[in-house]
Amino acid sequence: MIIKDVVCPFCGCLCDDLDVEVDGQKIIKVQNGCTLAEATLTGNNRLPAPIRRTANGWEEISYDDAIRETADILCAADRPLLYGWSSTHGEAQSIGVHIAELIGAVIDNTSVVCHGPSILAIQEVGHPGCTLGQVKNRADVIVYWGCNPTEAHPRHMSRYTTFATGFFVPEAQKDRTVIVVDTRRTESAEIADEFIRIERGGDYEVLSALRAIVRGKGSILPREIAGVAREQLFRVAEICMKAKFGAIFFGLGLTMSNGKYKNVRNAIELTDELNRHTKFTISPLRGHGNVYGSNEVFTWITGYPYAVDFARGIAFYNPGETTAVDILRWGECDAALIVASDPGAHFPHAAAAHLAKIPTILIDPHRTATTPLCRLQIPCTMAGIDAEGTAYRMDGVPIRYKKLIESLYPDDADLLRRIHDRIREVQGA
Amino acid sequence: MRVILETKERKKPFLPIEAETIIPSNFLKGPELTVYEGNKERLLSDLFTIVVEGTAVSPDKVEVVLKGDTARIKRVGEYMATGTIRIQGDIGMHCGNFMSGGVIEIGGNADAWLGREMLGGSIICHGNAGHYCASGYRGEKHGMRGGRVEVMGNAGDFCSEYLTGGEVHIHGNCGDMAGVEMKGGQLIIEGDATRPCGNMKDGMCMIFGTVHRILPTFEKIDTKKLPDRNVTVTVYKGDVANRGKGTLMIQKPHNEGDQHPANTLPGPATT
Repeated sequence: MIIKDVVCPFCGCLCDDLDVEVDGQKIIKVQNGCTLAEATLTGNNRLPAPIRRTANGWEEISYDDAIRETADILCAADRPLLYGWSSTHGEAQSIGVHIAELIGAVIDNTSVVCHGPSILAIQEVGHPGCTLGQVKNRADVIVYWGCNPTEAHPRHMSRYTTFATGFFVPEAQKDRTVIVVDTRRTESAEIADEFIRIERGGDYEVLSALRAIVRGKGSILPREIAGVAREQLFRVAEICMKAKFGAIFFGLGLTMSNGKYKNVRNAIELTDELNRHTKFTISPLRGHGNVYGSNEVFTWITGYPYAVDFARGIAFYNPGETTAVDILRWGECDAALIVASDPGAHFPHAAAAHLAKIPTILIDPHRTATTPLCRLQIPCTMAGIDAEGTAYRMDGVPIRYKKLIESLYPDDADLLRRIHDRIREVQGA
Repeated sequence: MRVILETKERKKPFLPIEAETIIPSNFLKGPELTVYEGNKERLLSDLFTIVVEGTAVSPDKVEVVLKGDTARIKRVGEYMATGTIRIQGDIGMHCGNFMSGGVIEIGGNADAWLGREMLGGSIICHGNAGHYCASGYRGEKHGMRGGRVEVMGNAGDFCSEYLTGGEVHIHGNCGDMAGVEMKGGQLIIEGDATRPCGNMKDGMCMIFGTVHRILPTFEKIDTKKLPDRNVTVTVYKGDVANRGKGTLMIQKPHNEGDQHPANTLPGPATT
């Protein structure tokens, strides 16, 4: 059977035009997808049943036992941490927030290691953004700053920017000018009309210089800024100011280098300056499939997009203090529930090491780098493959994941609901 | 009146304690206050040995002394308006948040957000201060608006972010981006700094150590002799990426070879 218009759950592009061939409970072919989509949809490293660590290794346990043990660990904790959420659907994320409130936990999502700084910058100066459809149909100047879509978001350029034909840019690549800014010449830089190579950690300076040029104050700039010739910045500023519609996309090269959210803020303020001359927008290239959704869901319920601390019964938010990496690094939390993410692969060593010291439970369909750090792992469905649900694309557009195959695994929303109910039972509600 | 709070041994010493109730005025009614240890509310007496010496009729006559393992106690002195708090060792985050008067003296190091959005009073830290010393809350447009923060050691990244009023005096070095988004007030750094005063709109920053990677959007306008220090400083206006009405005075401007030595940067703030 061929299922059309399937949504790929891997990255923030959430490409929704895939054709997937299914044979019984197996996906056998993926068309229109990138290599990442194909590997995600056809991959098979599923954990068959819940497992618990014992002195002699792992033992399989029942779902009932796993749920009971998870609830008991979370209820007994003085500072539990609930982390992850970005590779599942909104329905599971919302139950996670309710559990956090119930047990006075800190709940955080993978923004902490990707675009959390972008959110901080947006909270300071706003977000002159737009949907990817607007970019596809209008943008004649595209800037990729500190990101490499060719390898990380392989269809971004073909669906929305460089190679996409749009209503006002019918000739695609011929009508569009692509500028890539990075510290190294990436695959994406090879496609660019203009490549700005910045010295490592020099993004803030270059953005400030561009802002000064756009404000007409470029004469005070030195000959070279962070390894970039002043003349090149004047040329790029000219291209941007003459654009009919420009779009900046940025990645972790901006959010995770020195300066962090101040880099993003500077990029947003450059966008604001450019809007005095033409129409310009800026958007983060989000990584996990539904990380934007976790920000949305957390915000609806708590008022804050990530790093929400319910320790005192009310939501408190202070990235740097209530973020998962910081809490783990300081050894603050005494239990952790990880859902739909892999901190073992992405967190700094000190943070990941603390997960191994405390009772950590992982809800994830696969064996991951986090599995060896856990006391308990509970397998579940994978959103977009054997579970449907709501996800948010990187531009904030909600898209419905399809269920492609039937499976015997429980949906993570159901698992979390059972954990939630068990906690209420233990608390005597 | 002198209230001495000495920490007791805890089963889980890594848990943060949120103790905004520790301000001098609260002890006029007695020491039976509560604090949060993780997600549990505790009596102050569960976590501290409390000794009260003498009496007081007004909060300005109350001195609170903190002893023991105080490094994970947060929010001490939050919203404090008068009186004195003396901390013998290190103190946790948010010490002196929003304080409008009184004195806090810290014998050791202070963690992040020392004197955040402070309005008045003074804080003296004899050790180092963490990131965001004398800065603003996330998304807030104004940081410290009044009072004085003096750090005898070093300060971390984003020191005096959004500084709007008052004086911040760092005797050691500052991390990355001290005085970023400054709108007013005075920031004095006796040691080194990296990329100071980005997006500065107003106010004055003086740096007497070496400045690494001065931003390209600061315009050198003058040199000036400071008679009280007997030194000559270079005066810059900036940040011209913004309104450019801030004043940055530097005794030792960076040299060309020092433009972007990424390995000289201090460890970044984690957010």
